[in-house]
Amino acid sequence: MKNQAKRISDLLSPRQQRNWDWRAATNFIAGGAGGGLLLFVSIAGLEPDVARAAILLGLGLIAAGLTCVWFEIGRPWRALNVYRHFATSWMTREAVAALVLFAAGGMALLTVQPLFVVLTGILGLAFLYSQARILAANKGIPAWRHPRSVSLMVATGLTEGGGFLACVLAMASSTADVRLLAGLIALIVIRAFFWKMYLGGLIADGAPDGALKVLRDIDSKFVLFGHILPVLAIVAVLAGMPGRAGLVFVAGILVVAGGWSVKYALVRRAAFTQGLALLHLPARGRGPAGPAAKPGWKPISGTGVG
Amino acid sequence: METAQSKSVKHFPTFCYNCVSGPDFMTVKVVDGVATEIEPNFAATEIHPARGRPCVKAYGLVQKTYNPHRIVTPMKRTNPKKGRDQDPGFVPISWDEALGMVAEKLNAIRAKGLTDAAGLPRLAVSLGHGGTPSNYMGTFAAYLAAWGKIDYSFGSGQGVKCVHSEHLYGEFWHRGFTVASDTPNARYVIAVGANVEVTGGPCAVIRHADARIRGYKRVQVEPSLTVTGACSAEWVPIRPKTDPAFLFALIHVLVRENGLAKLDIPFLRDRTASPYLVAPDGLYLRDPQSGKPLVWDEVTATAVPHDTPGARPAVAGCYRIGNAFVIDADKERREYSDVEGRTAYEMLSRHIAKYTPEWAETICDVKADTIRRIASEYLEAAGIGETIEIDGKTLSLRPVAVTLGKSVNNGWGAFECCWARTVLAILVGALENPGGLVGTTVRLNKGRDNRHLSVLPGEDGFMVQYFNPTSKDEWQSSPATRNLHQTLVPIVGHNGAWSQALGPTQLAWMFQYERPDDWSMPMPTLPDVWLVYRSNPSISFWDTRHLAEIAARFPFMACVAYTVDETNYMADVLLPEATDLESTQMIRMGGTKYMEQFWDYKGVVLRQKAVEPQGDARDFTWIATELARRTGLLEPYFGAINKGISGVSSLKGQGYDYSLDPADNPTSDQIWDAVCRASTLTLSEGREEHDLEWFREHGFFAVPMSRLDWYLTPTMEKQGLRYELPYQERLLRTGRELGRRLHEQKMNWWDEQLSEYTALPEWHDVPARWIRNLELAGAKAEDFPFWLLTSKSMQYHSGGNAAIELMHDVAQNLRGHAGVIINAKTAAGLGIAEGDRVEVRSHIGATYGKASLQQGIRPDTLVIVGQFDHWATPFANTMDAPSLNTVAPMTLDLTDATGSGADIVRVAVRRMEGRAAA
Amino acid sequence: MTRYVMTIDLRRCVGCQTCIAACKGANATPPGVQWRRVLDLETGEFPDVRRTFLPMACMHCANPPCEEVCPTKATTRRADGLVAIDYDLCIGCANCVMACPFDARSIVHEAHFSYGDQPMPSEATGFDPARIAVSMKCTFCKDRIDEAAVTGRMPGVHPEVTPACVNSCISGAMEFGDIEDPRSNVSRLLGETRHFRMHEELGTEPGVYYIWDQP
Repeated sequence: MKNQAKRISDLLSPRQQRNWDWRAATNFIAGGAGGGLLLFVSIAGLEPDVARAAILLGLGLIAAGLTCVWFEIGRPWRALNVYRHFATSWMTREAVAALVLFAAGGMALLTVQPLFVVLTGILGLAFLYSQARILAANKGIPAWRHPRSVSLMVATGLTEGGGFLACVLAMASSTADVRLLAGLIALIVIRAFFWKMYLGGLIADGAPDGALKVLRDIDSKFVLFGHILPVLAIVAVLAGMPGRAGLVFVAGILVVAGGWSVKYALVRRAAFTQGLALLHLPARGRGPAGPAAKPGWKPISGTGVG
Repeated sequence: METAQSKSVKHFPTFCYNCVSGPDFMTVKVVDGVATEIEPNFAATEIHPARGRPCVKAYGLVQKTYNPHRIVTPMKRTNPKKGRDQDPGFVPISWDEALGMVAEKLNAIRAKGLTDAAGLPRLAVSLGHGGTPSNYMGTFAAYLAAWGKIDYSFGSGQGVKCVHSEHLYGEFWHRGFTVASDTPNARYVIAVGANVEVTGGPCAVIRHADARIRGYKRVQVEPSLTVTGACSAEWVPIRPKTDPAFLFALIHVLVRENGLAKLDIPFLRDRTASPYLVAPDGLYLRDPQSGKPLVWDEVTATAVPHDTPGARPAVAGCYRIGNAFVIDADKERREYSDVEGRTAYEMLSRHIAKYTPEWAETICDVKADTIRRIASEYLEAAGIGETIEIDGKTLSLRPVAVTLGKSVNNGWGAFECCWARTVLAILVGALENPGGLVGTTVRLNKGRDNRHLSVLPGEDGFMVQYFNPTSKDEWQSSPATRNLHQTLVPIVGHNGAWSQALGPTQLAWMFQYERPDDWSMPMPTLPDVWLVYRSNPSISFWDTRHLAEIAARFPFMACVAYTVDETNYMADVLLPEATDLESTQMIRMGGTKYMEQFWDYKGVVLRQKAVEPQGDARDFTWIATELARRTGLLEPYFGAINKGISGVSSLKGQGYDYSLDPADNPTSDQIWDAVCRASTLTLSEGREEHDLEWFREHGFFAVPMSRLDWYLTPTMEKQGLRYELPYQERLLRTGRELGRRLHEQKMNWWDEQLSEYTALPEWHDVPARWIRNLELAGAKAEDFPFWLLTSKSMQYHSGGNAAIELMHDVAQNLRGHAGVIINAKTAAGLGIAEGDRVEVRSHIGATYGKASLQQGIRPDTLVIVGQFDHWATPFANTMDAPSLNTVAPMTLDLTDATGSGADIVRVAVRRMEGRAAA
Repeated sequence: MTRYVMTIDLRRCVGCQTCIAACKGANATPPGVQWRRVLDLETGEFPDVRRTFLPMACMHCANPPCEEVCPTKATTRRADGLVAIDYDLCIGCANCVMACPFDARSIVHEAHFSYGDQPMPSEATGFDPARIAVSMKCTFCKDRIDEAAVTGRMPGVHPEVTPACVNSCISGAMEFGDIEDPRSNVSRLLGETRHFRMHEELGTEPGVYYIWDQP
């Protein structure tokens, strides 16, 4: 074993969080999409078999995410302790939502009763919202705690859900009607709007340079592949281009993939810690005090912090 | 969490003396017989300047105790071949066998005689940093005293890693073996490379922190922004090794631009040799009758002996003297009549005229305005005329000091720096006065625990000095030690406890493989037996790869060993000692000691066995007594103990007698019990007596001491003595004599060093010496464009703790730990990024580490903190950390007149293949 | 009401790392885990450079985001201001690690020791299996604070009931005490000096005050 020195920059500047790895990311990635999907299943008025398949997919996505998390937590056999703090913890609320969701979802799968389907959809949304709030409650990660991260996470979860629904319909050879396709376009546009709002807000309000770099780097790809191309595909479908099912499927996959990639970036790569900040550098004897310092952040105009 | 109910928890008061800035108090927490924690000893809050707190190193002592790599049983070498490429094949043996092997070799020496045919001691002993080993080796000092002639020449960095020139000149000028600012009273400190926040221990750290809050100003003059620089009000990034020019310019501003009227005239007149009249030949003009140096009496307008009652000597000026004479080398006397005599101050003033700030700017890369401002701030802060009352006595308050750091106050240029900073002190009356520049201990003179006792009248109105003789009759033409300290270095003397060890220790190593062509003395031999304790010269000296090869040639080597290391890798026998938390010893504390160890108390403190020794490690006092028994030295060994080699006094004194009789077979506990009792009786002047058990509970015993003991000037005043400054007539004469002796022996190889013996130091191109050195070795200067320096870290400095994981853990929070510090812009130009593995190559070799990019370092300089590059020490050998020592040469031309060198070398740096992971 | 806080005088700190070593001894933290750090911050460009030593640890916030997000109530804010973790409740989800803007928390998933897999006797004595795979951080040495409630001694005044880091600090940079008590050493010091709290804009109300100058 080599006992080499750590890099001092790791200690001083914001650095990528190391505690939530791909397993935690999977929960946000898959679970959020699952929640979105369940919501749309509840309002799409699908054929029972298609609805069952979609509900199964939605529950499966959420279950996969939670399983990954279960493998990540340090004390998995104490996992039920997660229910102890409903008053303020969005993780508890997420777990409660999941619990009720699986009960309702199970009934919905069995019965395809609109009551259970709708309840499952509402709980899917609650689950998705809880996840968004889990991230936003983390004050230690500037890219997460930005208030606009909630709308982004909800928007992308819903959009991914819409994308998945499109895929399911395409695979089931069901006709995705114009309303649904228009709705998907609307979701894509809304997500693009919230993405830009989020990124713009983050840049304006300040975040670690490393986080901004990651998010800026994915911006154009996310807009192109997650938004422009699927919209073009759907427009092509609406314009009557042949290969309708394939195009819808591709559009759905692009929407989902775009959302997942941005969530992975957000949960892992852009998740830089706050770092440190000194409002003043200390006076040393008769020497004067020094200006503020905030390593790894761009100077914020007006505050002199940078 | 610990459940106290079910466990036995005890706290043992003890001390840490891992560096020279100790001792510091601490408490060992022991749970169920296992040491778990180090804590301060708050019982010492009042008496300890650092309020009972030890520094970070002490907290590593728990790991030091239980480190699984420790040697915990005696071992012997089974591979007769020695070398870095030879596995020593150490195998466990019994203590009886181990001590038997050592005693056999020692007895063989005693049978043959203590010195060999070359007149050199057959026994050599190497002890580590700054006297710290003696605070851990129990009664071994008594064994060494009992033995007789020993060669301490094979140093582990003395003269290099210490502040060598400061030791020698500091003690010469003001009994300051170590020199410090009187920080508790300081107002303005110019720290030229002094890294006291790292090396000064908790006492210095709290004092400087208090001073910062009080509003003192410290200006750090150094090529890189060290911890001390970081904590200073101002950083002046000076070009390496040009410090003399900077200091000369400060003197210039004071003397030439501000002028005598603004300086401390009474101090210069009465306490220094400033008024002494100097003949045109540079020697003091003397009174024809008394032979005393003359001064110009402004009252009578005549030249009179310096100590003439009622006279008011002129500090500045030139005066016509009717009749006088001078004494040159070898007491040659020259008569003068109607001669112009200039005062020593006048000599200084004229001498310093050319060293303007503008001149210095071209040398130091420090703006002339900055130099001028700093000098003016210094003068203003000195507050000449202010006084302070201490214990009912009124003293001058001169709260300014210039402190010097390693590589500034050793090696070429160090004499100039030591002289200049001491002159800066006398100019404002700050030498050995409250707030000013104080010496804190003596080691080259007797009276090591009270330096005032060493202040006795000597020649010419100065303190007595015990130089090694350079007269024709007395000069030691055949060296008695392998570092030639009595032959080559008059100022180091032969009288003090440390005189020998402070000789040019690198010569002992160098002359084993290479001697000058005109060497005409007996060829240096290797000692029959080499004992090493708490010392790893194969890491801590220079040219370490080469040094390890020399160490491999020693015929018999026994090491008191903690783990295997790069030096004891060549040993024949390893002896495991009970370490810090496992052993017993009483030492002195307080009074005035190294660095900023000047206290309001003095006393003794006990190191005690808090936990049982690991394995078969034994207490050093037991080892020493056993060796004495096996080598027939019990009588003198106990004689030395009875004389008081440990503790504070002899074991027999007024009203008590705890003398030990070898016939009684005293145990270690009995020895320390006697020391405890004698020490407390002595310190309390008979009022209190405490035994070993008492100390085990209470830890220490202290009595108050007056702060007047911090300052030498009142003692000088009482004896009517002058500091031998600013003019160095004695050194001038001594150098001439030494030159004559060497030349009489047809040896010219020390001529360059002789040039340092001047009355007033001149600037010479100090940095160029290192460039010349590599060119002499056949290398091209342009291939090595950077200066490589080193700097200390508190976590490691002198701790011998490179094997302690905790230290590495915490040190990683600091910039540059275990790496190569390089200016960020320079690195960018070389394509080097943070964390890249780089090669630092000098003309003798290369060392490797990770680049640490910083703004706080000159673009032409690299710094490697600490000294690592371990290849044998477990754990440390996995750190992949570089060391200056690997690439710094050990050569005669880089050795100054005191035998000192400096941690600096010209190097190239390049990125190794492969980028650091982002 | 009592609120224990810490003051750190940045003018005094020399970055010696003694407080970290003392903390590691007092709390038996594994190698590489530092409940407190003293960072070494360089700012500016050559030659106008500053180096500042910055002790960082749990800020024991009055409004701790770690407590808010904790799904198990393992993290709680005590009445005396200390933010504590119940290792037996914690599931090691790391949500609190993410919530802390001060990077004060860490989780160690496997036991490891200074010299490999086997603990030294000192490590074996201090080893607490309950701390494996759960969130941990500076506790303000809460056992000592609890001891104060029993013995009547005063944290920040009596060393036995004062955090190990404060006790160990050789530069006198740290003080500890009850900020609600106007006579406490911390109240007095904060009254005499200029200070700030880190990331105050995040609204967590940290319980660590950094002193940087005098008025």
